Amino acid sequence: MLILRILASGSGWNRMIQMTHVSKTYPNQVCALSDITLEIPAGQFAFIVGPSGSGKTTLLRILFGAERPTSGEAVVNGFTISPQGVGRVHQLRRNMGIVFQDAKLLLDRTVSGNVALTLEVTGQFGREVKRKVVEALTEVGLKGRENDSILSLSAGEQQRVTIARALVHQPPLLLLDEPTGNLDSEMTTDVMAVFSHVHQKGTTVVFATHNTDLVRRYPYREIQILAGREDRSETGGERGPGD
Amino acid sequence: MRGNWFLNLGTICIIAISILIFSAFSLIAFNLTSLLKVWEDKIEIIAYLKGKTPPNELDALLKSTRLITGIETVKYISSSDAMAFMETKLGKQKNLLEGIQPDVLPSSLEIQLKKEYRNSAKIKEVISQLQQFPQVDEIQYGREWVETFSGLVHSVRLVQIILGGLLLAAMTFIIANTLQGTISSRREEIEVMHLVGASPAFVQVPFYIEGLIQGFLGAGLAMMSLFFLFKVFFAYMAPSVREWLLRMPISFLPPETIAWFLSGGMVLGIFGSFIASIKILRYSG
Repeated sequence: MLILRILASGSGWNRMIQMTHVSKTYPNQVCALSDITLEIPAGQFAFIVGPSGSGKTTLLRILFGAERPTSGEAVVNGFTISPQGVGRVHQLRRNMGIVFQDAKLLLDRTVSGNVALTLEVTGQFGREVKRKVVEALTEVGLKGRENDSILSLSAGEQQRVTIARALVHQPPLLLLDEPTGNLDSEMTTDVMAVFSHVHQKGTTVVFATHNTDLVRRYPYREIQILAGREDRSETGGERGPGD
Repeated sequence: MRGNWFLNLGTICIIAISILIFSAFSLIAFNLTSLLKVWEDKIEIIAYLKGKTPPNELDALLKSTRLITGIETVKYISSSDAMAFMETKLGKQKNLLEGIQPDVLPSSLEIQLKKEYRNSAKIKEVISQLQQFPQVDEIQYGREWVETFSGLVHSVRLVQIILGGLLLAAMTFIIANTLQGTISSRREEIEVMHLVGASPAFVQVPFYIEGLIQGFLGAGLAMMSLFFLFKVFFAYMAPSVREWLLRMPISFLPPETIAWFLSGGMVLGIFGSFIASIKILRYSG
């Protein structure tokens, strides 16, 4: 883990994500991605923008090892994802945080129980976990709600718990798949503030969305995906600290 | 064993029923084998001799007989000894033998075998050697009894093995399916664990432990049920049959066999969990 972090932040390696000629065709012959080649430097905030069905989710699923590319390869934080798969998916995921549109929370656990899960799966228990959970919940504005049941929270609050769960282990990479899709504009602004804050601390953020209005409000890089291909004419935006 | 108690209970009951059927056959086979051993211990050979054997020839015969492999002791029973034995057996009715000369009864050799020779296969080896002696007329050892009973025990053992194999396959299939239900009911939890980077072992081991506990409880339940049925069998049978059976060496399964069944249940539970988990616990999104 330490070696990977050094590689990621050290000399000669400042690319958090590198996709080289990545294509994905599903068994039913639907082509979700076609020859995608892109690079996201460590510390950058990048929007993956495109309409529904354009392949954003497939792209993200390849990045966290849930899908294998049909051809080409992706290197994420030092882990190679090729058509043969990825060696240790769990190690790859321990180095990232993932947030979806739906919260994906465990209803039989409390707020802190859900957030702590990320640390528990790596064998961490006890006081240190408690401290980190409170820290993550403070970051998303849910301090004091540690012992609440998930069902007692609003949709926006549930999404914040998911974000806290994705951030609690301070991953170098955050993958977001339409995380604001179920939130109203006020909640979206709040949640975006959390992501911006995390980004300012050096975390690489990859945010897939179809909401172009949202994207325009932030000065971050845009990667346009249209029908499974990267539309290079509209790629632009800021460069993160890793550049 | 969090969550679905109904599914867990169902799995335990299925394991218990399967092991109960198999262990019932094992109990029958175990007791038949004990009976066979007792009867085999009582096996002796009686070699009837032709006419009157002169004393010097008799000594040589006894010496040669004792040299046969598998024979423990040889006792000569003369015609007079046989008559005396019959009189003792007849008791008050011994007057039935009045006027009968002891010579009517043939003299014989009463042969005790070494323990390892008290079975139908080994007895035949000894008998074939005894038949070589010209003084020997006829040999008796209750062959039919031993062979029939031995055949019965072998049949029960065969049924036990075949049934065991079939039940094992059926049990694995049923347990795997039931556990698949249990695992499926926690699919979301597994998905979230995979998402946050849980190692395959972190996700799978609790299911294996669950399978192990279910297997242990199922096997334990089966052993208790079998013991209960064993007691009920004796309690509700006709007194005359019970008295006859109580004279036999009939007993419940020995502790080491019970331990084997409990361990078998646990192995079965883990194996069932493993089969059930192959598909569902595969690492994915």
